Amino acid sequence: MSGIVISSADFLREHLRARLTLVMLVALPALFVLVSASVLGEFASALGGSVAGDSASALGAGWAAAFMAGALGFFQVASARGADRRLALAGMGAVPVAVARISASILLGLLISGVAFGTLWLAAGIAHPAHAFIAILIFALIYIGIGTVVGSFISDPLEGSLTVAFIFLIDAFSGPGMSGGGGLAQLMPTRKAADVLVAAGAGQSSPAGDWIAVCLTALGALLIATGAFWLSARPRSA
Amino acid sequence: MTRNPIAALAPTAGTPKTGEAETVMRAEGVKKGFHRGLPPRRRRTEVLKGASLEVRRGELVGLVGENGSGKSTLMKIVVGMMEGDGGEIERNGKLGYCPQTPLLWEKLTVAEHFELFARAYDLDQTEADSTSQSLLAELQFERYRGYRIEDLSGGTRQKLNLALALMHGPDLLLLDEPYSGFDWETYLRFWEMSERRRDQGMGILIVSHFLSERERLDRVYELRDGRCIEA
Repeated sequence: MSGIVISSADFLREHLRARLTLVMLVALPALFVLVSASVLGEFASALGGSVAGDSASALGAGWAAAFMAGALGFFQVASARGADRRLALAGMGAVPVAVARISASILLGLLISGVAFGTLWLAAGIAHPAHAFIAILIFALIYIGIGTVVGSFISDPLEGSLTVAFIFLIDAFSGPGMSGGGGLAQLMPTRKAADVLVAAGAGQSSPAGDWIAVCLTALGALLIATGAFWLSARPRSA
Repeated sequence: MTRNPIAALAPTAGTPKTGEAETVMRAEGVKKGFHRGLPPRRRRTEVLKGASLEVRRGELVGLVGENGSGKSTLMKIVVGMMEGDGGEIERNGKLGYCPQTPLLWEKLTVAEHFELFARAYDLDQTEADSTSQSLLAELQFERYRGYRIEDLSGGTRQKLNLALALMHGPDLLLLDEPYSGFDWETYLRFWEMSERRRDQGMGILIVSHFLSERERLDRVYELRDGRCIEA
């Protein structure tokens, strides 16, 4: 157990020691919430959506958390695959390594969501802060799942980052409020989380069915991410 | 392909270097191929075509071969980093593995690496501290204890890479191009360390494309055309 705690703390430290990560942690929410809220509204209008005002700001905070979490999820798998497998082979085991990785990812997700939510709170205020924070966190958790799955298949940093960005763009611009909501939008994993976040931004509550859906999606994303960490750390039988 | 650990051996320091010494690793008929290119030009290259070798306790064994002959592939299969297509691996006792490319975390310090691997090897705090201190001294990189990996030279990274493989006193030590980046003094110290551990009963396999110190080795295999030939 102490091995998991130590490795989880080390994996978290590994990311927080990267200066660019810290800069992006603050810059991305600022960009999405402060700068692009009005632009998001114009984009939405052009794409047939209707999001605007505080809902656009709230959605921006969700997307900032999602993009950051997706990128970090990708690098957690892709950049450390060999070292993690070595640690697992040395006796730590693939399951504890995966548990340490997912714990570090959840902590990073909480941090990212906290910063995004704080920016939103300071910039726009929000009628339903608890709803908004949970929805932003769920954006982050879903993208941790997406990032780790991409990292399982693609190890090259450029290719992996572009793939995460590509998924993010499709997801962002086909999501609720940003488009008519039909077709591809129905299949995107953040659809319900975006519904909840847009509603929280507009000062409205969301139905229980939406909350159950977003919680199940986040749980599924975390299970997938844990599986991806396990696959990358597990020893190969000869 | 199956992995059948043979019966555990009690540590026997100073076991004589004879053919009767117990086997700590045996690879039998290991096969591995890789697909390259995209259809319709996709081709399969067979790198290992039934490679067999063994390492006994108290033996210093070399594995040589040209670039691309499959030495590192064989090593990864023996360790469990890569899946083989066929054959059998038997390993016994604690394993120490020093990969060709140091597999480390760039943002963590040398001390944090020792701490992580001490947990993985299940060493208690006292044992972990004394072992890491003695390896830092033996390989002469104590002053880098608090440095992050991203700030280390290639040679110092390689020292840590080697130290992490040694810190739990393995029965079998697998070293893949272990001295790349070492200066001459460290290179000589590496051989002294290896011989000392061999004399204490450790089975050591050193993989290299070029072994200039053949007289230091008990046996040498050459990997040629996917098979190991004892030279």
